[in-house]
Amino acid sequence: MSWLVGQASRLYGVRWVTLPPLVGLGVFALIAGALVVAPRESVEGEVQRVFYIHFPSALTAYGALFVVFLASIALLWTKDMRWDAIARAAAGVGVLFTAFTLATGAIWGRPIWGVYWTWDARLTSTLILLLLYGGYLLARSLADPTDEQAARYGAVFAIFAFADIPVINMSVRWWRTLHPQPMVVGSDGPAMPIDMVAVLVIGLIGVGLLATWLIVLRAEAELLGVRTQALRARLDRRIGA
Amino acid sequence: MTATWAVLAKDLRLLWRQRTGWVSAGAFAAMTVITFSFAFDLATADVRPLLPGVLWVTFLFAGVIASSHSFSEEQEQGTFDALLLAPAPRTALYAGKALANLVGLLSIELFVLLLGSVLFNVPLLVPRLILVTFVGTVGYVSVATLLSTLGAVRSRAVLLPVLTLPLLVPLLIAAVRASGEALSGNPDGAPWLLLLGVFSFWSAVGAALLFPLVVEQ
Repeated sequence: MSWLVGQASRLYGVRWVTLPPLVGLGVFALIAGALVVAPRESVEGEVQRVFYIHFPSALTAYGALFVVFLASIALLWTKDMRWDAIARAAAGVGVLFTAFTLATGAIWGRPIWGVYWTWDARLTSTLILLLLYGGYLLARSLADPTDEQAARYGAVFAIFAFADIPVINMSVRWWRTLHPQPMVVGSDGPAMPIDMVAVLVIGLIGVGLLATWLIVLRAEAELLGVRTQALRARLDRRIGA
Repeated sequence: MTATWAVLAKDLRLLWRQRTGWVSAGAFAAMTVITFSFAFDLATADVRPLLPGVLWVTFLFAGVIASSHSFSEEQEQGTFDALLLAPAPRTALYAGKALANLVGLLSIELFVLLLGSVLFNVPLLVPRLILVTFVGTVGYVSVATLLSTLGAVRSRAVLLPVLTLPLLVPLLIAAVRASGEALSGNPDGAPWLLLLGVFSFWSAVGAALLFPLVVEQ
């Protein structure tokens, strides 16, 4: 366990050297793969290429929201405010990629379904996710970042929201459905050509790295903000005294 | 248990003495129903397909207004800190608060159902619809009471519904569908009342467990 923590912190120590070039490489590979390498889809045509960003964005958004959930539990457990900074950073990135998923979905939906938006089960539950975590960000931004009570309130909300996701998905699915059935992992292997799957895997890695980098950047910015505020408060007290 | 009863009795006494808050929530609910009847022309032959939606939107909006009182008053008067100092489990305090809100909101809903029965000429006070209303309100109140601990934050009046309503989408869908079943008598094809019951039960348990963490000083 301690070995794992040591490795993780060593990896985190070199983040400025490793993450930016890896992210650049991953995103470049994603763009090249989606635009050049992947074959033209025979039925849907060129617009299908948006899928290589759409699907990784959706998975990455879920991943980021899972980070919010874990960081919120850690905050309530340890009362260490650094977890709150991570939760807020991950929530911001999660909301960003949820919005990205909806936007790329709309771009694809217009030529294929004939509409940008429809009240299909997955679209609706993704929209609710956006509203949930948008509300979380709004609530946290209205309170002082150093306010521990507000941080705990946000954490409890985030835990509740994450636990709500399966129920939302189920209730909305019973409500209605139109989204294409899962293509990637069927019961008898992937239902698409191997080079498409390869591009998709590259997309997952690229978008995942990008999200990780964004979360790290945001969390550090939040932490610096909290520290600056504390220093300023101390300075004010000294001048006042 | 005694702590729960004490908080419940205190809040019910307050609810009675400061009737204005709850009466205005009830008036708001009545106004919402009447506004809907103008907006959707509910004086048509068959209002049953529309009524469940009208009722639950009214319940949710009235509930947000009503439940936001339960902690804002305490925080304004500074009595919440005193309440937290009491040698009682926090979960018991939460249960008392939630039960008081439940009583308040159920009275408003009863009033709305009565009003709706008269206005739309549909018997709304039928056992099945009352059961759906009760189960849904338990889930709603348990979430709303937890989230209304939101402290003296700027624009809390707007923030509370923005946070509460997306969490309650499953409850709203299930409650509207189950109410529709109750009114039309035709099963809808999905076990909505079961979903509503499970959601309400887990919300109540989750909120009771998380409440002590929110109010910790």
